[in-house]
This record gives sequence, C-alpha cells and structure tokens, in this order.
Amino acid sequence: MHKYILRRLLLLIPVMLGVAFIVFTMMYFTPGDPAAIMLGEAASEHDVERLREEMGLDRPFIVQFSTYIKNLVVHQDIGRSYQSKKPVVTAILERFPTTLKLAALGVLVAVLLGIPTGIISATKQYSIFDSASMVAALLGVSMPNFWQGLMSIIVFSVWLGWLPSSGFSTPMHMILPALTIGTSSAAIITRMTRSSMLEVIRQDYIRTARAKGQKEFIVITRHALKNALIPVLTVVGLQFGYLLGGAVLTETIFSIPGVGRLMVDAIKQRDFPIVQGGVLFLAITFSFMNLLIDILYAFVDPRIKSQYK
Amino acid sequence: MIKNKKILVLLSLVLVFSLFVVGCGKTEDTPGTDQPADKAPEVRDTLIVGQGADAKILDPHATNDQPSSRVMKQIYETLITQNEQMELEPGLAVSWEKVDDLTFEFKLRQGVKFHNGEEFKASDVKFTLLRAVESPTIGHIVGAIDPESIEIIDDYTIRISTKNPFAPLLAHLAHGASSMLNEKAVAEGGDDYGQNPVGTGPFKLYEWKSGDSIELVRFEDFHGAQPKIERIIMRNIPEGTNRAIELETGAIDIAFDIAPTDVNRIDENKELTLVRDPNLSTAYIGFNAAKKPYDDVRVRQAINYAIDMDSIIEAVYLGIGEPAIGPLGANVWASHRGLTPYGFDVDKAKELMKEAGLEDGFKTTIWTNENQQRMDIAEIVQNQLKAINIETEVKVLEWGSYLDGTAAGEHDMFILGWTTVTGDPDYGLYPLFHSEQYGSAGNRTFWSTPRSDELLTLGRTTADPEKRKEYYMEAQEIIRDEAPWVFTWNGENVSGTRNNVRGFMQHPAGHHKLFTVYFE
Repeated sequence: MHKYILRRLLLLIPVMLGVAFIVFTMMYFTPGDPAAIMLGEAASEHDVERLREEMGLDRPFIVQFSTYIKNLVVHQDIGRSYQSKKPVVTAILERFPTTLKLAALGVLVAVLLGIPTGIISATKQYSIFDSASMVAALLGVSMPNFWQGLMSIIVFSVWLGWLPSSGFSTPMHMILPALTIGTSSAAIITRMTRSSMLEVIRQDYIRTARAKGQKEFIVITRHALKNALIPVLTVVGLQFGYLLGGAVLTETIFSIPGVGRLMVDAIKQRDFPIVQGGVLFLAITFSFMNLLIDILYAFVDPRIKSQYK
Repeated sequence: MIKNKKILVLLSLVLVFSLFVVGCGKTEDTPGTDQPADKAPEVRDTLIVGQGADAKILDPHATNDQPSSRVMKQIYETLITQNEQMELEPGLAVSWEKVDDLTFEFKLRQGVKFHNGEEFKASDVKFTLLRAVESPTIGHIVGAIDPESIEIIDDYTIRISTKNPFAPLLAHLAHGASSMLNEKAVAEGGDDYGQNPVGTGPFKLYEWKSGDSIELVRFEDFHGAQPKIERIIMRNIPEGTNRAIELETGAIDIAFDIAPTDVNRIDENKELTLVRDPNLSTAYIGFNAAKKPYDDVRVRQAINYAIDMDSIIEAVYLGIGEPAIGPLGANVWASHRGLTPYGFDVDKAKELMKEAGLEDGFKTTIWTNENQQRMDIAEIVQNQLKAINIETEVKVLEWGSYLDGTAAGEHDMFILGWTTVTGDPDYGLYPLFHSEQYGSAGNRTFWSTPRSDELLTLGRTTADPEKRKEYYMEAQEIIRDEAPWVFTWNGENVSGTRNNVRGFMQHPAGHHKLFTVYFE
C-alpha cells in the first residue's frame, strides 16, 4: 500500500510538467496580449512594447517556458501576478480556504441529501418516494446553478429576509451558497446511489442474507450499502475535486472570493502567471483527491486493497 | 459489524472534515455584513460601499482601472484636484503659476504627513513624477513632462516643465495617476508596495481581503478636515442585482454602478436614494476608415442616418444617460453642444448609398466585446441596416482578442466607449482622432484629416483657453461631418444610497470621494 501511494505521488511529477507545458502553450497561443489588456483602449505601441519587455513577454516561447520550469523546479517560484504584482502562491492561497470551505460544505450537503435519498429510493423502488426523489434529482441536475442561486437569494434574502445574499464571512452567509452548490451534486449522488444499490440488492448474497432471516435494515446497511458505496465514493470524490476547481458561477452570484473567480478574472486579463499557477495547483489538488479516493476504496473493500501492491 | 463501523467512520470523517474546514480560518466578521437588515447599529462610524470588482493593486503607477482608482482616491492625494464640476482646485499644491510656455511653479502645502509619518516635501513630488513617467502602465498620462527639468527650488516649491507646450498639464496632474507617493515607503514596500500603499489622504489601508473587501481606517494626522466616519469598507460585489439587493437589505450603505434594470427598484424604495449624474463617457460605433467601403464618407454618413439611436438608447440603456451628439460629453470643457445630430432618416441614407454606388448594399461585420449592452446595440444595428441593404454579421470577441483585432485594423465596424477622465478635450479627442494614434494608441477608426490633426495639435499646445476652445469646436464639427463614428450615448454615474447617508457626491470621472460622507 505504501509503495502504491509513493508510486502515485511520484507519478505526479510528470503529470505536473505536462500540465505546466499544456497550460503555458495554450496561454501563449491564445489571442490577446496581456500588455495591451493592461494598458486598455489607448496605449501607444511604444508603451505596449515597454510593458511586454518588463513582463518578459518579448522573449521567444522556448526561453519563456524554460525560465518558468527552471524557476518552478529550482526555486519553487511560479512568479508574480501581472496585475496585482503579488506572488502567485500568495494570491492562490489567499483564496483557497474559501474555496475549500465552499466545496466541503457543498459535498456535505450532497452526501447528507444524496446517499439516504438514493438508498430509500432503491429499497422502495417505484414507490411515490422513489418517483418524487427521482423527479427532484432530475430537477437538481437540470437546474442551472446561477438560476438556483438567484432564486434562493430572491426568496431567502429579499422576500423572507432570513439570510444574507452575498459574502462568505459567517455561517449564515454560507447556507445559500452551500445549498446552491450542493444540490446538483446531491442529485448526481442520489441517482448513483440508487442505481448502485438496485444492482447490489439483486445479488444472490442479499437473497441469502434475507433467507437467513436478517432484518431488512441490517441487510441494507451491512450487506448492500457497503458494496454499493464504491461507485458512489468515486462520484463524491470527483464532485469534491470538481468543486475545488472553483464553482465560478456560485462564487460570482454570492460574491465569494474563491479560486474559481480568481482564475476566470486572470484568464480575462491574460494574467498568465496566475492562470498557470492556478491550473497547476488545481491539478495537484485533483490528483490528491483521486489518490485519497483510491485509498478509501481499500478502506471500504479489502478485496481492492489486495490489488494495491 | 466491524465493516459497518468502517462505513460509519467514513461518513463521520466526511462530516468532521467538512465541519473542520468550515470552522477553520478567521472568524471575525465584516462589520455590518452580518447584521440582519432590521438590526443596523445605532451609531454608525463605518461606511460600507459595494462596487463591481476588487481593486487590482493600490499603486497608482501600476494600474488605471476604475475599482482600484476608487479605493486610491481615499488613500492618495494629487497636487491639484478637480471638483465635481471638473474645476481645478488646490490639492497638495496650494498655488501654482506659469513661469513660461513650458514651465509651472507649484507652492506645496506645508505640514502634510504621509501615512508612514514622513513629511510631504518637494523631493516626493520629484520622485513621484519620475517614477510615473517611467511607468509603462500610466506613463502616457504624465508623458508630456520633461523628467530632466523637474527642479526643486526648496522643500515646498517645485518647478515642472514639459518637453513641448502642453495646455492640459494641470488637468493631468489632477489625474489619479499623478497621486503623490513617498520614496521611503515605495522603497520599503518593494514589489509588495501595491498591497501596502502609503499616501497623504484622509484614509489609510487597514486590511485587504483579496477578492472580498478592502477596509480603510481614518488617518488621524490628515492635514485637512477629519472625516466624520472612521472606517470605510469597500466590498466587491460583482453582480449588479446583488449589489442592489445588498443595498435594499441594509448590508451596504452605498452601491456604485446600479444597473439600468435595477434603477426603478432603487428609485421606488422609500428607504433608498438614487443618485444620478452625467459622467464623462461617450459610447460609439466606429468605422474602419482604412477599409473599403468605409473610406467613403458617404457610406459612413449613410449608416449614421440609417440608425435610430433614440430607440436604441431606450431599449438598451432603459432611459439612463442620453444620446450623444458629438465625441465629447456635455460636462467636458469645450464640448460642442451645437452639433446637429444626424437623426433617423432612411431615405437620406439610401440616397447617400446610391451616390456612393452602393445602392445594392454590401456585406459587413460589426465587432463587439462580451458586453451585454454593446451586444444588444450590435444586434439592433444589424437589424436596422437591412433597410439600406447592408447585411451585417455580429462578431462577439473576448476583450483581449477584441483589442488586438481592432488595433490591427481587422474589423469593419466596432463598438467601444471612452471616458475623458481629465475633463479636458485633449484627452477625449487626441488619442481617438489624431493620425499619430492609429491602432492600439486609441484611433481604431484609422480616420484623420490634415486639418483635424492640425487642430488637435494646436489644441494641446496653445495656452490661451479661448483659442483652444475655437480649435476644439472646429475639430468637433469636422468629426461630426466626416462621421468616423456613430455617436451613441453619454453615460451617467448611477449609485444608490441608504437614506441616512449624507454628503455623498458623485465625481463625473467615477472616482467618488467618500471622506465627505457621514450618517444622519
């Protein structure tokens, strides 16, 4: 198991270099000169050239990329933002706790809503509860986040006055964004839990457990759920990783200063160092998340553990 | 049973992790933002303002964007200021006089302290201007100054010269980019100076929560009248509707840039006050006069006649602002208010197209960036130009590509705007219409005439205001007749305030002073 984890961690190095190369290349060839954007609608060519020189953008692609990789590997330095002049690491780490909070709350909402609903739907297949929860799940998946966010602001902030409509400083501020971001994940988890459970409860060993006279609750929780949880865990992990990438729309609607908005603003402004650093950071986060899920598989199902050698 | 426990442990781990993550980090609240709407504190010494974007950096030589400038307005001061009527007033300079065609002498205010305790002196002025001239970002605003000839007479007297006669120098010294810095603070701040600004203004930076809010605190050693409020929190609320809602619920006291769709809601709310004032912006549709058929003045005029601008303003801006009649808004000095608008006259347009040999029309494109109002205008124009057989394709480009493409002259028609922040016609005409400024420098229509070039040059180099006015009047008439633009719209600054907010006045340039604000 340890060897497996170490191998996965070492694999991160070529992945990171690959990600760095792809992002660097994409940003380099994307139309839109960062210097021209910084200077706006009326900037002389002389000023644009001066700024390009100051930013190092006048150098050939290969020189820029090798300098970037050298600074990354040798000095662990991924540069400073063109716009704010802040070190990229600082700019990202300032925002990351907020994104982590939002993602964790979203996943919490999704798990608490999704797994129980999925289990009940599967065990009471074709019941009213099942139909209602599947309709709700369909709605949850289909509703655009921005629309749901705006609706919840109108209802809970404007009409009822119960919750603040923007910011992320107190638990009260976190309720609406967490619900908004968690709903679509909850819907996905509900559907996945239901289908996975349905598959498992038709297995012979479940019939055997029932034939032994086990209580239905024990059959479901001890025998079925454990085996049904593997694909659900994958979905939860992917959703968490996805939310860590920044839920830009939710962050924008609720004025939450997260990594997603930092990245989108940086892309618009062609703030290359922030975009490159941000993508690297998110790639690392996502890779760790996947690794964590793989380790959790082994924790849930010892049969998988034996494969990690 | 053991395996069941494992699942329980797993789920518990998710729960505990989530709660841990939520619980970690700072817990102090942004004052005011956690207050329910109906429980506002009785004694208010903190003003909370919502604007649409966070400041990028608080170094006036590193950026020229509106959100940053609005914050810097409270932190820094300039030698000269412009009041809400765009009149020049003493700032850190108490007086100034012209020494010769190139040189002004400034007497500086004494006893002024920077936020770091240093005293403001002539050496700071010299340091600031030399640094500003070197800045690729804002250097063009002070580019007329001759760095070699800045002369310190004594600690409180300084002479500033320009390389050539430059009439709008004083207005440029009132621009936020000319804010006075302290050499020691800049040296100490190094690369991080923009996060640790030091000015002489009535407020100093207390805390910057990146992407969320900037908190300013009153500077007790400020040389002027002390503001009545102790703190200003400038919150970043990107969604216009959300800013309006935050104002309605009392979470903020002032909301900048109320969207046209929210204006009525704010106006009808008895707890709120809507503040509307003309600003210095002009929106326009430009033609690429270097390309056929837009090199023909008749085609440009025909399109001017074919567009019903009043209906566009009503549909797109919902009655905010007013149709533009020329390249300069009404509150820019020497703006020509006697220009005759083209008006909506399809017959006249058809006649001009016929004269140009384009009776059957042509295919063209209109470029815009991802700005909703500009995209709406493009679609309406596309529709209206069908009347004169012009088949228009709307191309929506992302801002960076838009700037690149229009600078390179790849476009046919394009939609853009301009703000004459100095209030001087030179700033609003020279970059946009002089032949020296083709492309990225501002003249994206690639239009000019020898006479308009001459007039714009005379306007910036002539000291006599009356003569300058004459030159600019004539230049605006030429621009109107030659029609490199369809003049679209002069904007308004629209803010909303809670009714207990007093002393808030909007500056036409959009950099509103907040240190005069207090609560009833």
